[in-house]
Amino acid sequence: MSTTSESIPTPAAARPGRSSAQWKRMLRMMITIREFEHLGEQEFRNGLIRGYYHSYAGQEAVGVGMLEALDPSHDYIVDHYRDHGHCLAMGIDAEQVFAELFGRRTGVSKGKGGSMHMYSPDKHFLGGDGIVGGGISVAAGVGMALKRMPGKGLCVCFFGDGALDTGTFHESLNLASLWDLPVVFVCINNQYSMGTSLQRHSSLSQLVDRASGYGMPTEQIDGQDVGAVYSASERIFAAVRERQRPCFIEALTYRYQGHGIHDKPLNYRTTEEEEPWRRRDPIRLLSEKLIEERQMTPAQIEKMRQEVTAELEAKAERARQAPAPEARELFDDVMI
Amino acid sequence: MATTAPAMKTKKMSMHEALNQALREELSRDEKVVILGEEVGLYNGVHYVTRGLYQEFGKDRVIDTPISEESFVGVGVGMAIMGFRPVVEMMRMDFSLRAMDQIYNHMAKIHYMSGGHLKVPMVLRGPEGPGPNPGLTAQHGQQLTALFAHCPGLRVVTPATQHDAKGMLKAAIRSDDPVVFLEPGPLNNKQGEVGEGEYLVPLDRADTKREGGDITLIGYGASVALCLQAARELEHDGLSAAVIDMRCLRPLDMQPALASVAKTGRALIVEYAWQSYGPGAEIVARLMQDAFWDLDAPVGRVSGKETPLPYAANLEELSKPQLDEIVAKAKEIAAA
Ligand SMILES: Cc1ncc(C[n+]2csc(CCOP(=O)(O)OP(=O)(O)O)c2C)c(N)n1
Ligand SMILES: [Mg+2]
Repeated sequence: MSTTSESIPTPAAARPGRSSAQWKRMLRMMITIREFEHLGEQEFRNGLIRGYYHSYAGQEAVGVGMLEALDPSHDYIVDHYRDHGHCLAMGIDAEQVFAELFGRRTGVSKGKGGSMHMYSPDKHFLGGDGIVGGGISVAAGVGMALKRMPGKGLCVCFFGDGALDTGTFHESLNLASLWDLPVVFVCINNQYSMGTSLQRHSSLSQLVDRASGYGMPTEQIDGQDVGAVYSASERIFAAVRERQRPCFIEALTYRYQGHGIHDKPLNYRTTEEEEPWRRRDPIRLLSEKLIEERQMTPAQIEKMRQEVTAELEAKAERARQAPAPEARELFDDVMI
Repeated sequence: MATTAPAMKTKKMSMHEALNQALREELSRDEKVVILGEEVGLYNGVHYVTRGLYQEFGKDRVIDTPISEESFVGVGVGMAIMGFRPVVEMMRMDFSLRAMDQIYNHMAKIHYMSGGHLKVPMVLRGPEGPGPNPGLTAQHGQQLTALFAHCPGLRVVTPATQHDAKGMLKAAIRSDDPVVFLEPGPLNNKQGEVGEGEYLVPLDRADTKREGGDITLIGYGASVALCLQAARELEHDGLSAAVIDMRCLRPLDMQPALASVAKTGRALIVEYAWQSYGPGAEIVARLMQDAFWDLDAPVGRVSGKETPLPYAANLEELSKPQLDEIVAKAKEIAAA
């Protein structure tokens, strides 16, 4: 952990161990996201999904580990456009996410938003933003609100490595620190801003260093290891809540697919580069751990995957059958 | 008379290929021309406009930028006042909203504020509106034409044909004014005849696409094709419609439209943009001022619906100007 003016200590007392149920829940959610994206990409190719599709495959441990540590009754999420996985991890029904992708009125955004614009205030999920960095100041605003509300809620804001190149990132971190806001800024560093590698878009190779000028703790975490993400999040969230001060996290990870569905990553990166990341695949890492600790057998994990897939296929089918919005809904929600 | 019918040898190509030719020819002709933008280089351009240029002209002429729109538009301004001719790409014109301070307060004003001492010979270009692909949704498929056309100091043009796209982009690069070059997104991949080799299309001349005696259909960008389609349909009803392409929006060339309305006495404006306060509204105002006594019926308008671009396929389609709406409205005006 690199620190500036403050640091977040690891508590001396050992943390209680995770329960087996919790590990299995996280594994199941990571598998759910992976399979969801797989089905979604198929439906894009079938023509049911249009426009943009940004897969979260490969990055599952970041969202799953972090959101497992949330206080779901008080905390909120502001996300960027790579949002399907975070929706699922926040407890939004996959059927509603599919329905949004299929442009159905039963979708989380009633078919108005599509892939990049999922919103579910009930589940404390405040979008889904298509403008790089667009959510970062909004998250600071959510932090301003939470500070004035009971319950010590915090806001987790997700964005990519590319968002560090926007002015609003730097302005928002300054505001959040100046005003003591309970916001966790999470940079999901998947090494690429579309086709541009970190070395080609960032003046510094350690992104924590680009966030360290704002007087808030910064920490780089292993985004492939869901346990590590969870532990760090639990510790950091407690400190942010307690101190009512922001924090910046850089989660190191990798996206398996192209930037979006039309993108061909092998035009700008190599399979040799991909290989070590795939060896540390987040689902594989946790599966191996659970097998080694005899918490699950490979057969049980495979069974879990099959259950998840069957469940998702059923949900996708119900979403397919759902109605499109009616023509008169075009003007609904332009204004109150 | 139609001015664009090229008397030269032509070749069929897409609009992005025509724009690519223009850039290639101007990069070769003038070493002061440079390109800046996200994914314009190594990635070959998200909409293919800069394809191959990085390989041909190198990284100092075709410059990949981080996601820092406000600042790289500012870099364009700075290079321009030093005598370079930057062509700055917005991956989608929606992202220019990030750069609006540089566009409105610097690019548009430095020439005037400096008492004419400084020139800003730069081009800001990129696709706008709902295309080429469907499903772009609210933050990626907007048609922001009016924002640019509103601002004194900018020259604002939008080609409706592949041939104009090439000739106008070349003229824009050679212009000593700052030019906002709006590429109609829906036309990006559409094919048409393009003149071979060197030619320029002026940046201050609207174009008569078709003569007619009963009604004047006025469009710009992607709506010109709709006007032409509507004109063909109207023939079946025994109506002869003229079609004017307003391709130069600031300064706005009203001459061909006024000349046509003097004959037809009736006008219908068709645009993808939102109606209120848009270019169509300005065109109506000019017709009121300068063609009032020629008009036999109120001027009509068919525009994009005044909603953010919705995702669901049926709503997205409804949000665009529809051919049957145009034909019906034209008949109504003709019968008035
Ligand atoms: C202001 C703005 N500029 C450009 C884009 C186009 N764009 C969308 S995503 C992206 C790359 C972002 O990469 P990163 O922030 O690292 O997130 P990742 O996609 O890797 O999750 C770009 C250039 C945009 N959506 N918004
Ligand atoms: Mg990235």
